[in-house]
Amino acid sequence: MLDFDEELKKFKPSLEVEQIEDAVYQEDLTDMTEILREMMRQSK
Amino acid sequence: MEYRKRLEYQSNYWYNDGLKKAKIRDLTGAMASLRRSLQYNRENIDARNLLGLVYYGRGEVAEALVEWIISKNFKAHGNIAEYFISRVQEKQTALEEINQAIKKYNQCLVYCNQSGEDMAIIQLKKVVAAHPSFVKAYQLLALLYLKTEQYPKARQALRRAHNLDTTDDTTLRYLHELHALSRKKEPALKEEKEHSVTYQLGNETIIQPAQAVVRDNSASVTFLNILIGFLVGAAVVWFLIVPAVEATRSRNESRQSVEYSQEIASQKAQVSALKKELESYRTAGDLAEAAQADAASTIESYEALMTVARQYSSGDYSYADMAENLRKVNAGKLGEAGLQRYSDLAEEIYPTVCNRLYRQAEEYHDSGDTANEITVLENIISMQEGYENGEALLALADAYTAAGEADKGKEKYNRVIELFPDTSNAQKAQKGLEGQAANVFGSSYSDDEE
Repeated sequence: MLDFDEELKKFKPSLEVEQIEDAVYQEDLTDMTEILREMMRQSK
Repeated sequence: MEYRKRLEYQSNYWYNDGLKKAKIRDLTGAMASLRRSLQYNRENIDARNLLGLVYYGRGEVAEALVEWIISKNFKAHGNIAEYFISRVQEKQTALEEINQAIKKYNQCLVYCNQSGEDMAIIQLKKVVAAHPSFVKAYQLLALLYLKTEQYPKARQALRRAHNLDTTDDTTLRYLHELHALSRKKEPALKEEKEHSVTYQLGNETIIQPAQAVVRDNSASVTFLNILIGFLVGAAVVWFLIVPAVEATRSRNESRQSVEYSQEIASQKAQVSALKKELESYRTAGDLAEAAQADAASTIESYEALMTVARQYSSGDYSYADMAENLRKVNAGKLGEAGLQRYSDLAEEIYPTVCNRLYRQAEEYHDSGDTANEITVLENIISMQEGYENGEALLALADAYTAAGEADKGKEKYNRVIELFPDTSNAQKAQKGLEGQAANVFGSSYSDDEE
């Protein structure tokens, strides 16, 4: 049986056009290459 | 740098996986694979561009633009992301409309949190109408329909969402829930189906009463309806139209009758007027004729009187001739002077002529010539009606009686009684009326009879 309130909480506001710029800057672009580089730098 | 190559391979592997899933509209799966690809290599342009395209396919246009913009930052030239961005920005109106739909969706989330489900449903209907590929909106709408137990509508919204993204776990869960509910309520739905008909009209699901009885007997009901319609039509014609037509015809006939009556009355009046006019003309004609005759009589009387006067003055004419002319005079037509002259002449001429004629009548009487006796006596009476105190009248009465003209005889006897009452001649006349002749000239008729 669905819990309406719980289901409703899963819905998040969708991104609006005016918020694109902020979203671009806030995007987490970290990838495995970067993590490995950091790990190698720290091991040295 | 072997690890770097291996990371690129892994990234490409997940990109290929995402591409395969995207091709079969497994957008959720594609998103997961593409994100994993980008976690291995954030500069995998194809993977990022495809991720943006997957977002776009789910109706999340802003998210798509974010991915394409980042992609363009990594590779400014020869990047298909540039084409995608230009295509989206090309139609500003459409982009603005989609943006408004997204804002409404966000507003609907607020409504839902404030228990305004009805308002949210209304707004979400508008959202999916303006932005038909917005998967999240369909899912939220389906959730609201499920809550308000509008299961057919929920099913419809979920089908749309499922067509856009076949593996979205939210959609699948809601569909599963819907199936579970359907199984539970199957008996109730069956009963409801018997009493209702459900079908799609655009985005709406129409539910209406089944009216099974009417449908089963549609042919007979149609015939019955036609029959009732025919009867109603006949009744309308019989009770409304026919009386109206009859009344109109009656009014026309009455009006025509009145017109004819008026025309006849007018003709009668005209005929009456013409008759009166004709009568007046006739009366005028008779009066003129009478006046003309009167004038002619007057002229003749005066001419006769002048002739007698001239004859009397000349002394060349006998009294008989003068009496003959004088008898043509109508004394009533003469004036005072003429009448005086006529009286003088008559007193001079008539006695002499009457005496001679009376003797002549006696001679005829004696000879038994009754016809000539009557003629001569009539001449005397015309000149002097009371000749010899009525003896001439008595003699004429006897002659008429002897000649078999008793009526004329009685008339003359009565005239004697009238002119000379209480005289011996009147007594004779009375006896004459009783059948005893007066015998003025003696009893020659008796002698003849003897």
